[in-house]
Amino acid sequence: MSTTIDKDDKDDKDDKEPIIHVRNVVKTFGNGVRALDGVSIDIGRREVVVVVGPSGSGKSTFLRCLNGLETADSGEIVIDGIPLDHNRKNRLEIRKEAGMVFQQFNLFPHMTVGRNIDLAQIRVRGASTEEARRNTCELLTKVGLEDRVDAYPAQLSGGQQQRVAIARALALRPRVMLFDEATSALDPEMIGEVLDVMRDLAREGMTMVVVTHEMGFAREVGDRAVFIDEGRFIEIGPAAEVFDNAKEERTREFLSKVL
Amino acid sequence: MIGPYASHQRRFFSPLDVVLLALLAAMVVWLGPGLIRAGEYRWNWSVIWRYMVRYDPVSDRMRPNVLLNGFFTTIRLSIWSGVVAMIIGLVMGVLASRRRLLARLVTRTYVEFARNTPPLVLVFLFYYFLGQQITAILGLEQWVAAMDPRTARIVTILAAPPRQLPAFVSAVATLGIFEGAYLTEIVRAGIQSVPKGQWEAGYALGLSSRDRYRFVVLPQAWRVVLPAAVGQFISIIKDSSIVAVISIPELTFQGLEVMAATYRTFEIWITIALMYFLLSSICSWGARGIERRLARHVAR
Ligand SMILES: Nc1ncnc2c1ncn2[C@@H]1O[C@H](COP(=O)(O)OP(=O)(O)OP(=O)(O)O)[C@@H](O)[C@H]1O
Ligand SMILES: [Mg+2]
Repeated sequence: MSTTIDKDDKDDKDDKEPIIHVRNVVKTFGNGVRALDGVSIDIGRREVVVVVGPSGSGKSTFLRCLNGLETADSGEIVIDGIPLDHNRKNRLEIRKEAGMVFQQFNLFPHMTVGRNIDLAQIRVRGASTEEARRNTCELLTKVGLEDRVDAYPAQLSGGQQQRVAIARALALRPRVMLFDEATSALDPEMIGEVLDVMRDLAREGMTMVVVTHEMGFAREVGDRAVFIDEGRFIEIGPAAEVFDNAKEERTREFLSKVL
Repeated sequence: MIGPYASHQRRFFSPLDVVLLALLAAMVVWLGPGLIRAGEYRWNWSVIWRYMVRYDPVSDRMRPNVLLNGFFTTIRLSIWSGVVAMIIGLVMGVLASRRRLLARLVTRTYVEFARNTPPLVLVFLFYYFLGQQITAILGLEQWVAAMDPRTARIVTILAAPPRQLPAFVSAVATLGIFEGAYLTEIVRAGIQSVPKGQWEAGYALGLSSRDRYRFVVLPQAWRVVLPAAVGQFISIIKDSSIVAVISIPELTFQGLEVMAATYRTFEIWITIALMYFLLSSICSWGARGIERRLARHVAR
């Protein structure tokens, strides 16, 4: 297998094709909870979609369905032309295409920061150690942590850990980034540094799906906003419109509580 | 002293202590006459020394005699059984942690079978059924017959004299399979102690299932597994005495032999208890060291 897939040739693909296509996705958990009740959305390249909604409304489940962490019961998910089905190869491709950032960072505590970011490059993309490390240092520079490459996660602050986690998710040069409440586990004074990194990514044209409780950030960075409640997309529209001028009563009610 | 036991420390006698003391007193009264008679017992410890080391006129040197040889056999037996048990534990523990129904069924059956059968019964079962099969499959008899003296010496040092090798191998298999069930549970628990988020991060990064185990989960599980596994090794040392019943010349078997020859019951069994105790203590001391080091590692 060739080791360096230049992602840029893929950019020539039809720019108008949505990069994320979700149609009528239903997800029911074993305990009978219907976490997603038929959701659909098409997300274009370079678009930033923010997902807001009350606790337990299905935000995480939606994101986790997009990269196959959860398997939808029915419906259709296509990421960058690859259908997310039972085909293991497709699923692997999608996992490489979609980077994910978790609320709890989930860094590997027994590895240095550098090794955390090297690992997938070496094991999944087949990069050499030097090649991987070079890219790792570039990514760390991007998130402002180039001097912490040999630190262990436990030696970093929460904000720094989350920035490392973002760098790690970027290591395979994904086309899509999924953020699940990336700042919810952080002390208030560290939220800003993580949001800054996310803002930079959005500005560079990364396609992003962002679940967040930071309404100010969502309105500022989001191209479109989705309001989800009880597993349904209640409202989808331009971020400014949804936040300032929601059509649905339930959206307005929710926003009035959190804003 | 801090912690929940601090308040108990100030009281000298709790009701439980009184009960224990009463039991102890009753035991002294009950066993007392026996102990006094034991006082008249004429101890003869020199027998022990004779069976520990012997003079070898050929090489003009002192050589280990049956008891010490039994001690070494116990060590060899324990180490090999420990290795086999660890390999089984690792494979079965990983399988047990999988979501596949079949994998869980297989490991569950194995663990339940090994844990709910008396080890002595297992020894016989393996020795008479599997033992023959295993040695046949390994072609052990032929290999032993065709062995050159140098190999034979190495095999004797590492395992057992060639003649006893088939019995030794089935003893190792028995103990390995028996203790492997406990190690399976230890490894499974270790794997399950790793937070779910670690799996998910590995998955999201595109790591294969094998890589997730190898690079992400097992190294973290190790911290839980290692101290428990060393603890289990102590059990292996102690449990290894059961293979005396299939005439493996390990410590307990040799003790029985020496007793049959000398009738020095007390001396022999006290000595043997001390030898097991010595071996186990060294291991638990090692286990504590490992635990301390791992703890320091985590605190990093
Ligand atoms: N693994 C699971 N097993 C059973 N039920 C689940 C599981 N994961 C989520 N749920 C349920 O599915 C629903 C949606 O959960 P989800 O985590 O997607 O909500 P959320 O919008 O992310 O909430 P939060 O803001 O609290 O993170 C909830 O009712 C939750 O209890
Ligand atoms: Mg959530």
